[in-house]
Amino acid sequence: MNSLAVPAIGGAELHVIEFGDIVNYFSPYTAMLFAFAVLFTVIAIVSRPERQVDIAFGGDAYYTKDIQPEQLKFQRFMAIACGLATLGAVVSGDVFNFTLFTSMVGITNIGIVAAYKNRHVLNAAFQYGIVAMIATVPLFGGAAIILATTGTLSMWELFGSAIAVPLIAKAFLVLGVMGEGMAPFYVAKAEITRAPGAPYVLIIHVSSLLLFLRVVEIVLSM
Amino acid sequence: MKPEGQGSIISRISRALSNYDYLAGVYALLVIIITIIGIVSLPFLAYEDVQVYPKHIDRSSPLDPYDRGGTPFNTTAVHAQYPDNSPYLGYVTAYLTPLSQFMADGSHHLGTTIVSHPGGIIDEILYNTRGLDTVVETSILFVAFTIAAYLFRRKD
Amino acid sequence: MDAVYIAGLGIAFLSVIVAFYAILREQDDLHRILLTDLAEILALVLIALVATDLAEALILPGLVVGISELMAISEVFLVKESLSRPRYSPLSIEVMDSAPAIMSLALVLYGIVLSGFSGGALAGVGAIFYFMCRGHDERFAVIETASGYAWALWIFAFFIFMVLPEYWLFGVMTAGGAILLKVTGKMSLVGTMRGGHNE
Repeated sequence: MNSLAVPAIGGAELHVIEFGDIVNYFSPYTAMLFAFAVLFTVIAIVSRPERQVDIAFGGDAYYTKDIQPEQLKFQRFMAIACGLATLGAVVSGDVFNFTLFTSMVGITNIGIVAAYKNRHVLNAAFQYGIVAMIATVPLFGGAAIILATTGTLSMWELFGSAIAVPLIAKAFLVLGVMGEGMAPFYVAKAEITRAPGAPYVLIIHVSSLLLFLRVVEIVLSM
Repeated sequence: MKPEGQGSIISRISRALSNYDYLAGVYALLVIIITIIGIVSLPFLAYEDVQVYPKHIDRSSPLDPYDRGGTPFNTTAVHAQYPDNSPYLGYVTAYLTPLSQFMADGSHHLGTTIVSHPGGIIDEILYNTRGLDTVVETSILFVAFTIAAYLFRRKD
Repeated sequence: MDAVYIAGLGIAFLSVIVAFYAILREQDDLHRILLTDLAEILALVLIALVATDLAEALILPGLVVGISELMAISEVFLVKESLSRPRYSPLSIEVMDSAPAIMSLALVLYGIVLSGFSGGALAGVGAIFYFMCRGHDERFAVIETASGYAWALWIFAFFIFMVLPEYWLFGVMTAGGAILLKVTGKMSLVGTMRGGHNE
């Protein structure tokens, strides 16, 4: 039907999955990201939550923080949803579909941290949620500007040399992914990781890292 | 450690950044900067006239402004990105449920009501050619409801 | 078309700057939520500027994402601030005692006639109105389950389009029916969430 522009940064396409106008594909680069996402999703499914131990200073006393089974179930569900959204985002072949998967990653990340009752963590989660929400403006805005100025959303067309994507759209896209995945905002993440419950917290980092790697590839290819 | 408001410019910046209360503000500032660049670059942007799924308006049709033409149970010409991938392209567009067909026959303003019977090109895009978008969208809603319901129902 | 688009884009960019400047200045968390909702409208404006049928279809996901995030983050805000829900009826007027049944019935029936997304929204309004006026003990979990099944049905309908396109009519009908149930269920959940004792 069609093929990626040569030379593509992510390598030639290996496998193509067609969903109507949205044509997803695996290239060596995205296949690798996909494998990582699968790996960490599986880890989230099979592993048991970490149990933090607090040691009281000046004595032998220590206590283990318990995680309620309901919270465990909820967080595992969110972690799996986050993993699936990451899977979708890294192999997406359509800009708008990519942005939707990205915002799904953002909202599942809010969900994972929102389950904690620690006030400090909740505060960080709230600020993070605000950024994830306003990030939809540059995210969808970038996709919309791409659609208006090029007439297509398909990466298969956009990666070709015939179509020039405006710089502002690319900048918006990167900015949007930064907001949803919090890639450069490690401040909030540092607070969030103080919460008990790895590996569910871990998937927040993995998903944002993979998303960022993917958006960099998209922007460089366009 | 130096007290607040002292130290080199870099340590002051990094101290401000380490407060997550400023997080939304920092992000907003970034967006503002990029948007200003966007305003500067406006003269270099141009609207592409060849768009997929262009909008047609037929004022005389009872389905106005949502009349996309086509005969039911037949292929309708729709400017999709990859028509090959959707062999039944346009079938959803042209189809009206018997009830909405009845209303379209009797009224000239079916399209102006909020009637959203299956059919119409929007549904074609939402359900058929770009169905994956809708799958993701409803999954987002599902996840959000799970979060809200979990927090609401948690007993404590 | 070109000049109109560029002019519109310029205005949208200016509004983005205004909205984000407001977020930059605002310190209060509750006001930040409200401003965030305001800012998200600009994402829809940017999509709407494309002015094709595709843009119209893309607005729906954009809108839904905004609403979903708003709902989740509001609930986080409530937990964070440990705000308690009112134990008394927040609104008490006579029509709420006499009208619920007939009003809700009319709205739900009209919603079913309309079917699809807006039908679901309308039927949902009817359900919200009913639950708002009458009690809603025990119903929360049931609606939640029904809405979950409707979601699965709706996803299933999309895969009919993708895998078995020749059964498109069946897909349209399944999707139309499932979204009616789904939106109704979700909206009535919102109705039950506004206070009272759950469970």
